[in-house]
Amino acid sequence: MGIVSLTNTDKLYWLGRYSERVYTTIRLFGESFDKLIEGDLQSIDAFCASLNIPNIYTSGDDFVERYLFDPENPDSVLSNLTRAYDNAMTLREEIGSECVSYIQLAIYAMNSLRGNESPMFGLQKVIDDILAFWGLTDDIIPDENVRNIIKVGKRVERLDLYARLKLPQKDILREVRRLAVRISRTNLQYEQEDMDKLKDLAAAEKTAYDEIVTLVDGLVKI
Amino acid sequence: MPDTRELTKHTEDINELLARYGVKFGLYKNGVFKEQLFPFDAIPRVISAADFAELERGLKQRVMALNCFIADIYGEKKIIRDKVVPEEFVFDSPGYLAQCEGTKPPKGIWSHISGIDLVQAKDGSWFILEDNLRVPSGASYPMIARELCRRASPRTFQTNGVAENRDYAALLRSAMDHVNTGGCTVILTPGRYNAAYFEHSYLAEKTGAHLVTGSELTVEDGFLWFNGYDGRKERVGTVYRRISDDYLDPMSFRADSLIGIPHIYEVFRQGNVALMNAPGNGVADDKGIYYFVPRMIKYYLGEEPVLNNAPTYLPYYEKDMQYVLEKFDSLVLKDVAEAGGYGVVFGSKMTKEQKADFIALLRKEPRRFIAQEVIDFRDLDIMENGEAVPRKADLRAFVLMGEEPMVWKSGLTRFSRNPDSFIVNSSQGGGFKDTWVLSH
Repeated sequence: MGIVSLTNTDKLYWLGRYSERVYTTIRLFGESFDKLIEGDLQSIDAFCASLNIPNIYTSGDDFVERYLFDPENPDSVLSNLTRAYDNAMTLREEIGSECVSYIQLAIYAMNSLRGNESPMFGLQKVIDDILAFWGLTDDIIPDENVRNIIKVGKRVERLDLYARLKLPQKDILREVRRLAVRISRTNLQYEQEDMDKLKDLAAAEKTAYDEIVTLVDGLVKI
Repeated sequence: MPDTRELTKHTEDINELLARYGVKFGLYKNGVFKEQLFPFDAIPRVISAADFAELERGLKQRVMALNCFIADIYGEKKIIRDKVVPEEFVFDSPGYLAQCEGTKPPKGIWSHISGIDLVQAKDGSWFILEDNLRVPSGASYPMIARELCRRASPRTFQTNGVAENRDYAALLRSAMDHVNTGGCTVILTPGRYNAAYFEHSYLAEKTGAHLVTGSELTVEDGFLWFNGYDGRKERVGTVYRRISDDYLDPMSFRADSLIGIPHIYEVFRQGNVALMNAPGNGVADDKGIYYFVPRMIKYYLGEEPVLNNAPTYLPYYEKDMQYVLEKFDSLVLKDVAEAGGYGVVFGSKMTKEQKADFIALLRKEPRRFIAQEVIDFRDLDIMENGEAVPRKADLRAFVLMGEEPMVWKSGLTRFSRNPDSFIVNSSQGGGFKDTWVLSH
């Protein structure tokens, strides 16, 4: 296992988190977008509440434009993708130009969609780029620790989002198990006690979503 | 001339791929950082084997002499004592650093990577425009462009006998290893908001070096260490630093530097780490010192210069001042402290008032400027809206110093996109080409 600096460890972890955030929130956005076709503005409220982000949107069109593409909106998909890009471009020597290129392509795809009447079609390209990025991380990054730090970021983010969205217990349990396996393969610092508690919470009869969110967010110490 | 029609059909595709790989440069405009793509033109600059052999000989000679000069200036100063170079041109130069006096870098090498800018006149002769011995950038662009050109049109490269240029990383690595004092190799970057950040990260990837910022390195017990997240650390033997002398070490240079590494210069002076390029090189690539390089070649190597400087005048000398005033309209004037195409003015393009103001400044600060004849460059064709049009272009050749100087069989050809401009710098809207050195 080669030495990875504190800075790069942090960037790898957050690259994993932001890429997952983009991927999952686009998929969730798709469900709200579908409801908006019938004019269901409540779906925006529900969407924002589930992600714990402020509902600053004045209409369905405003939601589509600003939640997806507004670079000034810190919760927008574009802002999260830009953060993934900011991390990826500084990790070229760790993850390789090919991996970086898929995050770059996702940025181009996202920017090309502004003002598009059918953004959901184009967003599929963004999702495809993220999937290609993940596939490549597995395929070409030689250092297992580097690969696993990205994956831990991804798993932490997914679990955090799933718990916020109060997804069924089976989904939460599966993500906790995947995280437990992955984190043990890295040199990331975390408390085993916290990981064990997460497993217990996920397996409990009544899923304690809020506790899971708190615990998973503070799990990795960088 | 090689037939490149099949290759140039793919210019747009190649530019798309360059965008995909993030081949960009950063630019500050009105205080705001922006990343810009570096436009690529697929018609290469072509240099024949015979022409390159001459260039290679001249470039090696020049870089050897410049290395001797820097070592002499921070050592015995024989060239000053022998009155070959006036001392005010050395000690008044902003690139001269008193802190470097008495320094002996590993293997005696000061300029490990030299970027020498040349232009080719219409008669085919080459002129040196300037020497860049501090942190010359640009090699990564033709490297990655070649990779993509070969994908676009393999047949072009099957038939034309073009020397490989993707070996730059191997040459760089061998230069890094040659001076390594024991330990790993790192590329030190000021960070992602540096104009050449793409290059820093790409060269780190291709040479297998760690890309680091100052906060990831520390000095302890007289050595430099690369610190890992998990508490492990590794000794550093070579630092290819892409930050300027001023900011390298707040203990030795600018005290307000937040991007440097405290005490790194002390470690270097003790011979416990190699810094590429060595601090203090600015004394030799000052635009004023440029005038004296042909004399240095004769002085240190006892040889006639193979490559010529552009005809240059130093207003510091009264005779040259008179010439500059007489021929003002036909000369280009350069502020020796500026770089990147800034501080360059053409006498012919000034208004009467501007000219009067400039001459007053020239008389007041003659050491600050050099004047050069405007060389009628050989234009190179670029593709614009499907048509080949001629544009001004220069060449940055790279010389790497290992056991022996090595001239990279390629280079960065930069061109002006503006038909009326001689300024080719990327920061001023220029584009780039690959440079082919032929095997015949």
